[in-house]
Amino acid sequence: MSDTEMSDGPLDGPPPGLFFAGSDDDEPAPVEASQKVEVQNVPRQGLFLPDSDDDEERVFPKDFKGKGAPIEDGQESDLPDFEELPRASSPSSAGDHVSISSSSPPPQPVDLFSSNKGAGPSKKRKLSPEISLSTPQATESMYIGEVLVTNAFSNVSGKGYIKPNEVVQVKREDQDDQGTSSTPSNPAPPPKKTKQLTLRAMMPTRPAKASNKKTKVDTIVRLYNSRGFEFARLPTEVSAWVAKLLDYGVVEINGTMTDCPEKLTVGVSLMVTLNIYMRPSAFQPLKTSKDADGPRALFNETAETMDERVLRERKTSILKLFKVVGLTPRAGANFSGRKSDEQVHEEALKRMAQHKPQKVKEVVGDGEEIETEDAENLSMNELDLIYKKAQHNDSNMGLMEAPPSFTLTLRGYQKQALLWMNSLETGAMDAREASSMHPLWSQYAFPEKPDFTAEFIDLTEDEKFFYFNPYSGELSLKFPKAERNCRGGILADEMGMGKTIMLSALIQSSRACDAEPETAEAPANKSRQLRLNKAFRPNRGDSKARTPSATLIVAPTSLLTQWADELQRSSQPGTMEVVVWHGSNRLDLHAAVQNKDEDDKTIKVVVTSYGVLASEHAKVEKSSNGHSPVFDIEWFRVVLDEAHHCKSRTSKTAKAVYAVKARCRWAVTGTPIVNRLEDLYSLLKFLNFKPWSDFAFFRSFITLPFLARDPKAIEVVQIILESILLRREKNMRDTDGNRIVELPPKEVVLDNLEFAPLERMIYDSLYAPIKRNFEKLDAQGLLSKNYTHILAMLMRLRRAVLHPNLVIGANGKDKVSSKEEIDDVNEMIQKFAKGDGAEGGKFAEDVLNSLNEEAAECPICLDVMEIPMLLPKCLHQCCRDCILAFISTREEKGEEGRCPTCSKGPLKEGELVEVMRAQPTAEGKPPGVVLRRNDFRSSTKLEALTKDLRKLRDQDPCFRAVVFSQFTSFLDLIQIVLEREGFDQYRFDGTMDLKKRNAAVSEFKSASRSPKIMIVSLKAGGVGLNLTNANHVFMMDCWWNAATEHQAIDRVHRIGQEKTVYVKHYLVNDTIEGRIVRIQQRKTAIIKEAFRGTQANKDSESIENLKIMFGTD
Amino acid sequence: MSLPKRIIKETERLVADPAPGITAAPHEDNLRYFNVTIQGPDGSPFQNGIFKLELFLPEEYPMAPPKVRFLTKIYHPNIDKLGRICLDILKDKWSPALQIRTVLLSIQALLSAPNPDDPLATDVAKHYKENENDAQRVSQEWTQKYASGD
Repeated sequence: MSDTEMSDGPLDGPPPGLFFAGSDDDEPAPVEASQKVEVQNVPRQGLFLPDSDDDEERVFPKDFKGKGAPIEDGQESDLPDFEELPRASSPSSAGDHVSISSSSPPPQPVDLFSSNKGAGPSKKRKLSPEISLSTPQATESMYIGEVLVTNAFSNVSGKGYIKPNEVVQVKREDQDDQGTSSTPSNPAPPPKKTKQLTLRAMMPTRPAKASNKKTKVDTIVRLYNSRGFEFARLPTEVSAWVAKLLDYGVVEINGTMTDCPEKLTVGVSLMVTLNIYMRPSAFQPLKTSKDADGPRALFNETAETMDERVLRERKTSILKLFKVVGLTPRAGANFSGRKSDEQVHEEALKRMAQHKPQKVKEVVGDGEEIETEDAENLSMNELDLIYKKAQHNDSNMGLMEAPPSFTLTLRGYQKQALLWMNSLETGAMDAREASSMHPLWSQYAFPEKPDFTAEFIDLTEDEKFFYFNPYSGELSLKFPKAERNCRGGILADEMGMGKTIMLSALIQSSRACDAEPETAEAPANKSRQLRLNKAFRPNRGDSKARTPSATLIVAPTSLLTQWADELQRSSQPGTMEVVVWHGSNRLDLHAAVQNKDEDDKTIKVVVTSYGVLASEHAKVEKSSNGHSPVFDIEWFRVVLDEAHHCKSRTSKTAKAVYAVKARCRWAVTGTPIVNRLEDLYSLLKFLNFKPWSDFAFFRSFITLPFLARDPKAIEVVQIILESILLRREKNMRDTDGNRIVELPPKEVVLDNLEFAPLERMIYDSLYAPIKRNFEKLDAQGLLSKNYTHILAMLMRLRRAVLHPNLVIGANGKDKVSSKEEIDDVNEMIQKFAKGDGAEGGKFAEDVLNSLNEEAAECPICLDVMEIPMLLPKCLHQCCRDCILAFISTREEKGEEGRCPTCSKGPLKEGELVEVMRAQPTAEGKPPGVVLRRNDFRSSTKLEALTKDLRKLRDQDPCFRAVVFSQFTSFLDLIQIVLEREGFDQYRFDGTMDLKKRNAAVSEFKSASRSPKIMIVSLKAGGVGLNLTNANHVFMMDCWWNAATEHQAIDRVHRIGQEKTVYVKHYLVNDTIEGRIVRIQQRKTAIIKEAFRGTQANKDSESIENLKIMFGTD
Repeated sequence: MSLPKRIIKETERLVADPAPGITAAPHEDNLRYFNVTIQGPDGSPFQNGIFKLELFLPEEYPMAPPKVRFLTKIYHPNIDKLGRICLDILKDKWSPALQIRTVLLSIQALLSAPNPDDPLATDVAKHYKENENDAQRVSQEWTQKYASGD
């Protein structure tokens, strides 16, 4: 057929089904087109041809650009990308297409030029590939309602086209085939009829607001009479959505002419009744065509992908249809009062355009750095809102007792968690009542069809229902059960609620066997994982005969031993075997997880780190036959601790955790959403929680609406979380109104310090030029360009507040005191004796003897000397602060320092000898005296810290304190100071390997009668660490957001803490720190990424913050 | 402005353990301001006199010396008409290890041992240098006249 009809050389013959589609608009050359039109549509020939090409050229490129953005996205050749695009059929417009599409991968231009003619049938829409052929009379089609269109308009003139009450065929142009309606599943885009455009141009008064410009051209819906002649069109506001419905195979439409003049004239209004039927294919499950992790998602995250657009348009049109025919949901998801999808989408794109994708380096997993898009962050309020729904009924949840092998006592809320987790693993859903219908779905009833159209016979007396998911656009005839297709969930209790313990109880309660094999597990290699249809799932033959029983725990490196310890501590000896699989000598995993024999009832748990998992996964990925035991073994359960470590779905860590085979999956994190909704995606993906584990879904229904400020996004997230997330907060109350967690109080003190004059001078001398620089840049409008530079300068200021050495560098840096410089008392005596003869020696001896006794009075402050300083020449004593103050006042006056008591001089700061009274130690050494030269320059903050620690030691001789700073260089100085003070101190920072960290923590925790201080880098120790043996926290500097500080404090203030926790923040007045605090108060969330990343966020918010930094008030 | 611990301590000690012949009491309104009396040392022309002084502790005290002034008229080569005192420890020889008590004791000692070589009241100093006995007589007269203790 095609051969004969389509004699025009360059064209491929369209297959039979597409005859109309191909033929009507074959505009390779206007002449040919006219020939063919002649054959079929004689009356129109003369009317439309003349200006056709111009018209098309005028409209088409504009239109094409409108669609341009998504195209770049479509790298995969099998995407249905261009089916909806206007056909590039006219040679005159072809140039435009080539130039635009040349930037995209090769297959597309082919599509562009061929789909029109022959490729149509083979290019099945991904969303409905299973619909290949069905006749319009398909009995399954269900009547959904009728629409009266009053302003359909004729595009022909003459009599006899149509009469009232005649049947009207309603088709997309390309669907028509000699009276047999073609498969709507082959929705070729509407051809660009030059004639039509002309027509439009002729009818400027036609209301056009309903459909926006973008979609104008490709949503033409034509009306044919029973003889197959096109005589009219639907008005654009109707055709906009009708066309989509037809294109996506959702409906078929059977029209009746309600009213029309006997003689049609071009543009005359016609009244048509459209009877709309849902096609059976509409109820097929949706599919998306690509893996969420595909390269294209990475390639351009901001543009909407083709799939997303298809989903969105389909959904929008269906919603519109329901609205027009007056269908309202009988039950299910409430879907009122939200923005339209068009709005959502446009706003989202607008926001994205303003907010250029900022790549921000983040450290994920075990030190893996990854660039992430710094998309819109969530505010605290929004986060609260998100969790709220998941929490609202939690206090009523039942309890579950831990098995006898569990040796600790669970608190009430922990028992609730156990019940919840256990029921999720076993598939029993009674822990949290879930409505029987899937929460995202709504139930609709098919309306009864009016009698007079008898074509579709499916009239049953019983009301028939169908189901619609307004979020995804899915339709179903089957009742969508609120079934869970993932076993597991997210345990997102706040920090310090004992999540480890709850998991331990779960591991002991829910043992293998009672869960059936997970058929939907993620394949280890990257095949398409996201199909809804399980039949496509690769059947993997490697499952062992034994049911998997072991649990794999993945945690940050610093927490591995803590996990192992906690697990052992909470279980009866011999009931659990815990293996830490980490480091170079990882032992045989298979052996570790297999029970030796029938009688071996021990629970096998393997603890490993994200780093190990990622590197093992890389091993597997690298070679086709590479394998790693951790991915070979089918685990019964995998638990991700601090699961936000893999929040970035493109990171190696995340991909590795997706690939673990397990029947039950748990993500444990106090912050499932760190700052973006998309953080959640990775967890859902890990949990294999469909359909949200599909990035296209997630993006379409969560990310984009959120960017557009559509409350729907939050709503959807709430619904998702309700079923898989458990989050309790420390301040929550149980049904009796008691707090679920009784933590001892926490007292936070801000210590506002004043700089010493010298420090003030140094600071001011740094600040002034930086401020000038800033103002200059601000005046020139170059702030955002020099953002990084400014941040670097800010960093210097922040360091200067801590200690001048941190900015001055090696110059002027005092020698770090080492052991050799600690002079022994006796040595000192001898030196003195030699120098000053016997008499002086006697005096010196007396002095030094007196040092061993208690506390002399400082001649200056008349107080007991805290740290006595010996003056080297006369051996008079003074307390440190006083003598330093005295020396500096004299130096200010241009005089040399001298002894306040005997005026012996000159005296320099560095010559002073510090008398260290060694604290009585556990080993029973008598308290002695150590002298040390005063060669260490302290700073305001260090002084404040040591002073407080000394005071603390007096009050509580075996206190435990934790000191946080974000600068490891400052940690070095703190260490020196503490060492000088004779404190036992332990360090924990990111540069230490696991072994050292563990050693530090366990030594810090070991019992001792002397004070111990842990110095922790804010970043390394901010998460996971459990330091409840301490109850004093010192924050040396302030972080950009308060949340990070709280998290650090919660290392100490968490379950297990029995004492009041005292927190002290040191701030120096009139420095940048005060301004940082102001920013903290101003808005907690936004800054953290911006100021951390190498490439900074340049939005106005950040600039605003900078201005606060340098403000003059 | 809170009072430094040192000043409180000194005040307490001055009250609890006064130096012989010396009293010092802080002013009710201003604890840095002291009313002081010094008895003229025995054997000096100022014997039996009770001299009133005022003493003020500046903000920088003890890094800076206290300010002390005689309120009672006194005929002394190192003390001028306005009561100002020429004493090295109240100037460049000040040390924070000195205290109110030591300052007052030094002033008391200055009464015993006038130093006309480092004069403040030049006419008095001249008098002392040229005719010490006559000068001491005048000092005695002044003491009886102005510092008789009523």
